[in-house]
Amino acid sequence: MRKQRVTQQAIVFAIFVVLFAIFALFLPGFFSAPNMLALLQNVAFLGILGLGMALVVISRGIDISMIAALAVPPGLVLQMVQNGYGPTISVVAAFALVIVFGLVNGWLVAYAEVPSLFTTLASGLFLAGLGQVAFFQLDVVQWPAALDGLGWFGRGGILGVPMPVVMFGIAAAIVALFLRQTRIGAYIYALGDNPFGARTTGIPTRPIILLQYVLAALIAAFAGFVMAASINSMPTRVFNSTMIYDVILVVVLGGIGLSGGRGGVPNVIIGTLLIGTMLNGMTILDFSYSAQNLVKGVVLLVAILADSFLNPRNEETAQQGDI
Amino acid sequence: MSTAILELRKSTKKYAGVPAIEDVDFTLIKGEIHAIVGENGAGKSTLTKIMAGVVALTSGEMLIEGKPVNPRTPNEARELGVAMVFQENSLVPSMTVAQNLFLGQEKYFNRLRGIYIAAQQFLQSLNFDVAPTATVSLLGAAKKQMVEIARAVLHNAKVIIFDEPTASLTPEEKKYFFDLVIELKKRGVSIIFISHALEEALFIADRITVLRDGKHVVTDDAAKFDRARVVQAMVGRDLSQTLYGQRKTTVRPAGKRVLSVQNLRMASMVKNNSLSVFAGQITGVFGLVGAGRTETFKVVAGVIKRDFFHGGEVLLHDKPVRYLVPAPAIRDGIAYITEERKLEGFFETMSISRNIYMGLLAKLRGKRKLVSNREASSVGEKWIKALNIRAISGDAKAVELSGGNQQKVVIAKSLVQEPDLLIFDEPTRGVDVGAITEIHRLINDLADSGKAVVVISSYLPEVMALSDRLLVCRQGKVVEEFSALEATEEKIMYAAIH
Repeated sequence: MRKQRVTQQAIVFAIFVVLFAIFALFLPGFFSAPNMLALLQNVAFLGILGLGMALVVISRGIDISMIAALAVPPGLVLQMVQNGYGPTISVVAAFALVIVFGLVNGWLVAYAEVPSLFTTLASGLFLAGLGQVAFFQLDVVQWPAALDGLGWFGRGGILGVPMPVVMFGIAAAIVALFLRQTRIGAYIYALGDNPFGARTTGIPTRPIILLQYVLAALIAAFAGFVMAASINSMPTRVFNSTMIYDVILVVVLGGIGLSGGRGGVPNVIIGTLLIGTMLNGMTILDFSYSAQNLVKGVVLLVAILADSFLNPRNEETAQQGDI
Repeated sequence: MSTAILELRKSTKKYAGVPAIEDVDFTLIKGEIHAIVGENGAGKSTLTKIMAGVVALTSGEMLIEGKPVNPRTPNEARELGVAMVFQENSLVPSMTVAQNLFLGQEKYFNRLRGIYIAAQQFLQSLNFDVAPTATVSLLGAAKKQMVEIARAVLHNAKVIIFDEPTASLTPEEKKYFFDLVIELKKRGVSIIFISHALEEALFIADRITVLRDGKHVVTDDAAKFDRARVVQAMVGRDLSQTLYGQRKTTVRPAGKRVLSVQNLRMASMVKNNSLSVFAGQITGVFGLVGAGRTETFKVVAGVIKRDFFHGGEVLLHDKPVRYLVPAPAIRDGIAYITEERKLEGFFETMSISRNIYMGLLAKLRGKRKLVSNREASSVGEKWIKALNIRAISGDAKAVELSGGNQQKVVIAKSLVQEPDLLIFDEPTRGVDVGAITEIHRLINDLADSGKAVVVISSYLPEVMALSDRLLVCRQGKVVEEFSALEATEEKIMYAAIH
């Protein structure tokens, strides 16, 4: 089992290196400093989202509503400040919205036992709709000057590294520590490995699931806030984009098995690098949006197929043969 | 009578390079009932799965009526006339008996009336007492099996393989099943059946094959076997001397009452069940399948949520408790060690140490905010030594272990939580003989150290060897209580059956 997982990670990393080398050699302008910065900056949001998704996927869930959580709460902050509320009250309101949203998701999955795919599909639609109907006056909410005090979240950089990338690094470090070093993190792995086993072992399974969806929503909103600061606005239509597929792609391709209990932050980082390189390369090659979707769809299918081969979902087949 | 209908020659099947069966020769004679016996892991299932096309041979050959064949799927085997009736039955529960019989053979326009009539006639010709319009999910285990057998016969099976056919049957149902098998034999069907119950094999089979560690040991007429010879062949040594041979001569006195269940009701499985468990002794709970033993104790441990509308009391140390999930039960010192090791026992991606450490983390909760790998491996090492878990190291994955060692990991995961009340549900199911002895010794040591221990088992010799007090369940409640000194197999069985 262990050998297999290492190879899976290594294979993805090797693909990334090869792809990167090919692009660097044959694509004019790929390996230039501005493009590298742009690449990193673009994938940083994806990476942060991937961290949240990883938290949920490790214990066999999925959170389709992350893009709504990315767009709406930060958009709400921007809109409220524009409308003359103070930054503090705006941030608190958005924070409360995120927590409530995560709790509802988690409650539906953990206590009402609705499959996570359908729960988050519906709740994401609801949140995005709520934003458009009740909060936003325009599709793109501009970053108000009164909020410039918080602009450092996505602007500038440290030692030449763009701020979104720094934020991705910080978030990755925190999530990695959380997953590998804390008791709750260990619970999450146990839950993903064997939910019934976790329950009989005495792990409080439902509160942990609740927490996961709250954390995923918080991470998504964080990504959204960094994004808004970095591009100076929140394009709330992002919900209608294919971004959620990119996030799933990052997680699955990175080697976090959809069958649960496997993988961690390094997998997210590897997945992010590969997807980032791929997307950037396709953009330079002037692939149309539709062609890019086609490629992403194929890669996602292959990744899921590989995942279900390497990490079979069925408990029985994962066991030793019943001799 | 002596023509071979099915033959395996030098058959070997390896899983990941490890042979499950090796160079096994097997001959099934037309119209005979052939029992295959052996310990867990002896290769019985693998052998029959090869014949049924579920797995393919690594080397060797298979012949049906003298012609070499190589069935790669159960469907191909069925076309060759070999059908297998699995332990878990493969019927569609929401469909009727007739629909199940003709499943996969429906005409393009599937008229229910037509298949009901055909099924009725067919079932009558077999003398099977099942209504073709009955929904399968509402049938008992024996009737379901009947439908499976009928389906095999309907598919013109020349060979029917049964994997533990009597495991989930009550004694009357068993008798009925044997009548069916004899009926099939009269029709010229050859029958292979795997069984753990030696008496059954000796009673019904014409010939018996004994496997041990994937190798063929002996095949002979059933008349030339007796229980001792079969057991001897199975284990290669005299088992009756070592494991279940001697009767209990002393009984531990009852300590404080730890658990008291009063009039517990739970759906249709537990009906007004009342019982007590005392510290410092082993309380054995025996009952046939469906007696509500497991359900009662799962309610006690919070694994099954107790229905609010159905009442009863559970008193732990004389205080009423009601658990909705296992976590608070574990905090109060109740450990339930599951019979479903794979399903709810261990964590397969985790190492042995990590598995055991998860138990500790679940118990300590807020007192361990951070995990420590050093603590995990020291806890793991301690319990690996204490329970004699055989693995290369504590870093070995739990999934790579043998059944016995996996069971020890599951036990260690509970022991690390320092429970006062331990409930072992079928502690030696799917466990090799060596590990059974060790697990029994461990259970005895736990009782000696003053813990309240409950052992639920369907295997009579096991309950009798372990228990100080013996509770017999029937139809959802405890109906009889024995001291180990007064219990006999006959008394217990008499109480367990109506």
